[in-house]
Amino acid sequence: MASDYLVFDGITKNFGDLSVVAPVFDLSVKRNEFIVFLGPSGCGKTTLMRMVGGLDTPSDGEIRMEGEVIEKPDLRRGMVFQSYSSFPWLTVAGNVDFGMKYRLDLTPAKKAQRRDHYLDMVGLADFADTFPNKLSGGMRQRIAIARTLAAGSEILLMDEPFGALDAQRREGLQLELRKIQAQDSKTIIFVTHDVEEAVFLADKIVVFTKRPARIAEIVDVAAVFGKERTLEMRDSETFFKLRNDVLRMVRKSAGTIQ
Amino acid sequence: MTDPVALPHASAPRDAAVGASAGPARRPRKRVPLFARYFAFRAPIGQRAEVTIGIVASIIVLALWEVSVRYGWINALFFPPPSNIAATLWGMLSDENLLYHTGVSVARVWGAFLLSAVMAIPLGILMSCYRSVGAACEPIVDFIRYLPVPALVPLSIIWFGVGEETKIFLLWLGTFFQLILLVADDMRRVPQEYIEIARTVGARPIQVLSHVAFRAMLPNLVDNLRISLGWCWTYLIIAEIVAADSGLGFVIWTARRYMQTSEVMAGVVTIGLIGLVSDQLLRLLHRRMFRYL
Ligand SMILES: Nc1ncnc2c1ncn2[C@@H]1O[C@H](COP(=O)(O)OP(=O)(O)OP(=O)(O)O)[C@@H](O)[C@H]1O
Ligand SMILES: [Mg+2]
Repeated sequence: MASDYLVFDGITKNFGDLSVVAPVFDLSVKRNEFIVFLGPSGCGKTTLMRMVGGLDTPSDGEIRMEGEVIEKPDLRRGMVFQSYSSFPWLTVAGNVDFGMKYRLDLTPAKKAQRRDHYLDMVGLADFADTFPNKLSGGMRQRIAIARTLAAGSEILLMDEPFGALDAQRREGLQLELRKIQAQDSKTIIFVTHDVEEAVFLADKIVVFTKRPARIAEIVDVAAVFGKERTLEMRDSETFFKLRNDVLRMVRKSAGTIQ
Repeated sequence: MTDPVALPHASAPRDAAVGASAGPARRPRKRVPLFARYFAFRAPIGQRAEVTIGIVASIIVLALWEVSVRYGWINALFFPPPSNIAATLWGMLSDENLLYHTGVSVARVWGAFLLSAVMAIPLGILMSCYRSVGAACEPIVDFIRYLPVPALVPLSIIWFGVGEETKIFLLWLGTFFQLILLVADDMRRVPQEYIEIARTVGARPIQVLSHVAFRAMLPNLVDNLRISLGWCWTYLIIAEIVAADSGLGFVIWTARRYMQTSEVMAGVVTIGLIGLVSDQLLRLLHRRMFRYL
């Protein structure tokens, strides 16, 4: 069944006495769906992503991908981290190559082609031979995005990947990301604090409560806008209204303590 | 608006500023007072300035020393002037086979140092990667680490006699247990994110270790190796003073017996020079290897 692609099945996460993901967290993600996590800082979004990535395990319950319990990381789930996202000893191109280093199915020529394609997409083609220490924070973030896209995972876990980018670059990459998602049928979980970005990108927005993370609301954006996204959409009445609705939900959920 | 390239003014200046450092061509430089230029907090002063300052400072110290002896402020018997030491050093090169003794000492230091490094690197890495190995080794390592090497000289002679083994053992003892903890610490400081990036792009644990974790710790490791090479020299002199018929420690100790202060000094200066040269070479190597830092 399509709706069983990625399933959070009754999970909980505690760090010692600290409850980070509330008991019995359930969520089902369809293949090729774009999910955006929206919630107050420190509520447990990164923790949830790490568990999907296989970098951490739930205290209880399980996360399944295509019926298989996720226990450790693998190439099918790529991740863009919030910090230390590129290797300082590799050039920009080397960092992107690293995403494909363990893919045995691609020829070197194919890898080089993919690398150049994604470097170009994130606007770093001119800096291919530069080391990350010579780049700005936003540029380093783009390295990580290119590396993760080049790796070609089915599920992309992106933790505030556009946080340090300027508005122009951000819009460009948002559109590209939607395009990639449609073309290569990727499933994406994306964390952001920017409500407008959430509404623009998401098929479905999951609004969280304060820690411990609980689902406050799920907003079905795809039901309103469908799969196609254009920049004009941003100026429409519907977009405005939806954005304000979500903003209200975020405010409300941040205030509620259950 | 769709294409970021269509709006060059939005991103170009910022990106361009990273590549090219120069502004408009050859405007007269803004005047900065000399003191402010060389005493700006944590600001770089340029490589050439650093070398020049280093050489000038050394020459000043040597000159003060020379002058103090010449004017009789210091007793030349206990503190021979640099000119005298230099002359003695020159004489020792031909009369006392100083080069041979230096070679012997250098060989001992490097032999023991390499032995320590080859053993400490894998063990240190294991200690930090597997907490149980770390927990098992730490008490032993910490205990031995605090034993003063000189206190173990008698034991070492009982075990190994007075041959090369004793010297290598003492040097090894002085460095191995320090180095192992430094290596473990370097590995522990590799950001967890690096490990996780590697794992999420499909690296197996052994690949994570060799392709990423080891590579990430390498700059710190090379630095720590350089520092422990310095310790080797400390222990070498102890080893050579106690039981040796060759090496710089032997030369120094023999000269002391005859109150040849300038020969003692010449031996000490030789060690200092070797230290200075090898340290600078290793620093240079570090800069070359890790340009990205
Ligand atoms: N390894 C850990 N050990 C102990 N506590 C942790 C650990 N990782 C996260 N936490 C705690 O879990 C809570 C949720 O952290 P998480 O990083 O998931 O938040 P977040 O929703 O991603 O926040 P932000 O939006 O600021 O990135 C925080 O209170 C944090 O202190
Ligand atoms: Mg987070």
